[in-house]
Amino acid sequence: MTASPNRRLRRQSCRKFLGDFYAVIIYAIFYIPVLVMMVFSFNNAKRNYAWEGFTTQWYGKLFSFGNHDLWESLAYSLAIAILATAISVVIGVLGGIGLKKFEFRGKKFINLMLYVPIVVPEIVLAVAMLIIFITVGVKLGIGTIVAGHCTFCIPYAVVTIKGRISGDNETLEEASMDLGANRFQTFWRVTIPSIMPGITSAAFLSFTLSFDDVVMSNMLAGASQSTLPVLILSVNRTGVTPDINALTTIMVLVMVAGMLTVNGIQRSLRRRELRAAEEAETARLNAARF
Amino acid sequence: MKKLLAAILTLAMALSLAACGGGNGGGQGGEGTGDGSGAGNTELNIFMWSDYMSDSLVANFEKEFGVKVNISYMNDNADSITKLTAGAGDGYDLIMTCDAYMESLIAGGYLEPLDLSQIPNSKNINQAYWSEENQGYCVPYLMNYIYVVYDTERCPIEITCYNDLINPALKGEIGSIDGARNLFPIALVALGYDPNSREESEIAEAYEWLVKYNENVAAYGSTETNMVNGTISVMFTYDGNTAEAMSAMGDNNTLVVAPFTSDPVQLGFDLYVIPKGAKHMDLAYKFLNYICDAQVMADNLVENPYSCPNDAAVAVASEDYRNAPAFNFGYKTNVFFQEDVGDAIAIYDKYFQMLKVG
Repeated sequence: MTASPNRRLRRQSCRKFLGDFYAVIIYAIFYIPVLVMMVFSFNNAKRNYAWEGFTTQWYGKLFSFGNHDLWESLAYSLAIAILATAISVVIGVLGGIGLKKFEFRGKKFINLMLYVPIVVPEIVLAVAMLIIFITVGVKLGIGTIVAGHCTFCIPYAVVTIKGRISGDNETLEEASMDLGANRFQTFWRVTIPSIMPGITSAAFLSFTLSFDDVVMSNMLAGASQSTLPVLILSVNRTGVTPDINALTTIMVLVMVAGMLTVNGIQRSLRRRELRAAEEAETARLNAARF
Repeated sequence: MKKLLAAILTLAMALSLAACGGGNGGGQGGEGTGDGSGAGNTELNIFMWSDYMSDSLVANFEKEFGVKVNISYMNDNADSITKLTAGAGDGYDLIMTCDAYMESLIAGGYLEPLDLSQIPNSKNINQAYWSEENQGYCVPYLMNYIYVVYDTERCPIEITCYNDLINPALKGEIGSIDGARNLFPIALVALGYDPNSREESEIAEAYEWLVKYNENVAAYGSTETNMVNGTISVMFTYDGNTAEAMSAMGDNNTLVVAPFTSDPVQLGFDLYVIPKGAKHMDLAYKFLNYICDAQVMADNLVENPYSCPNDAAVAVASEDYRNAPAFNFGYKTNVFFQEDVGDAIAIYDKYFQMLKVG
């Protein structure tokens, strides 16, 4: 009788240990490279062969005028990512709703075709688009890169947003129109908020895909400017310099800060919502009392 | 549905017409600037490797000629070829490529022939590094030897030829650059064949040689990093990487360029070409002439210490550069070049894949 709870305890602690161990390993694999990258941004050496002492000179170099190349390409990458995200999300919302709600001929086919840009190797798409742009006479530049990025961002956006639309939406929309809202108001004030989480994740996904991209950005770039990943890969021919580590460190920090802020805002919003619901409940109860 | 189809077809037709019109307009514009009218000639577009030309060189050129230089970056030599052959070359005024591609680029008509009288400083370039058939189309920028370097203290044997690299004593000691057209030539030379052989039987033999070489290789890529941190004691690599490794080891440098006795080493060039239809030809000429200037190139070598075909520049370069052990070895002229091997590239690819898959 006494052995059994003991054994259960032991099994429990063993399970807990295994779970923790697993989590630690996975997170370590994820974050150790990032950590090494950050540490080496403080390395006092021209190339990152080995640790040679602490310095902050690379941050100085990063912000010096001589490095405007790096900043210009960062700004260029950001502009492209924002444009590609905006376009992909708009098309993703329309496409997601359309493909979920309406029945039409060829719907299955279109649904399947959505995965083509995801499955086809990017370089194939990139070269095909390059040839199309050249034949049609479109000048290569930010426009062509954004178009290229949209080809692989839109399918992800559509799939993500489509997955978010459920039967509930229809009920809500019907209720909204019953209560006198027109189609536009319903779309804007009921449909969109109800699929907002899908839209946000589609936006983040598109942004990441676009910002990360090398192949399309490389092929479809015009003569005047390169994106940041293309520049970094090009530097890699002779070895990445620590100022690039410094820039990536700053980017990681900004990203983490951004995520924490978004998280904080979401939490405070949820709290406010809860409070509002509570107040409404008390008001209702008060009203009922009289 | 039919209406939609009709609309799409009309649109496509209109676009292609516009494209033809646009193309003609561009061509005329190019000729206009080629005549030296100078109007609108304030931007020079260059496509090249990143971190390969000093920022001050570009800034000084911009100041001196009152122009803006736009540089976009390539990741692979094949990039510039794809851009050129797809027809996107005319967006650039200067493209960097390497000597191995020159033959097919010239044959394909992708390049503007150069008028060397507009590049008077090109006389500074050693003719030995500038083959006759290439002279009318490119200006060499910097170059790289691919040779063998070893650590005199840690390497178990002395290396004087490629065959020493397959000595079992070197198991796990070699760091190597990768690529079919870098590896097969050394095997072919070791076996006494033409490094640009097109014979399948010879390439197959070279493959057998490389299998043995492969057993000695600890890692492909990042050769200089692995050398400095002590993972390897022999590297088959570029001279630029060697210079980095040697300067990283500083006063404790025990690396030497292997004293080869008879085997030739590969010499490759990064060179500038003007793509067909470039819009700012005269600026491209000015830039080419500028970088061929002895002092300008000598200053550039401080930040980019690579082998340089510009003799006048080397003569006035810093003492550090001229005495760098990575560039001082006894067989600088015993070299071979990577040539276009035509359809035989498929044979190389086949055996290279076998080598990689094992």
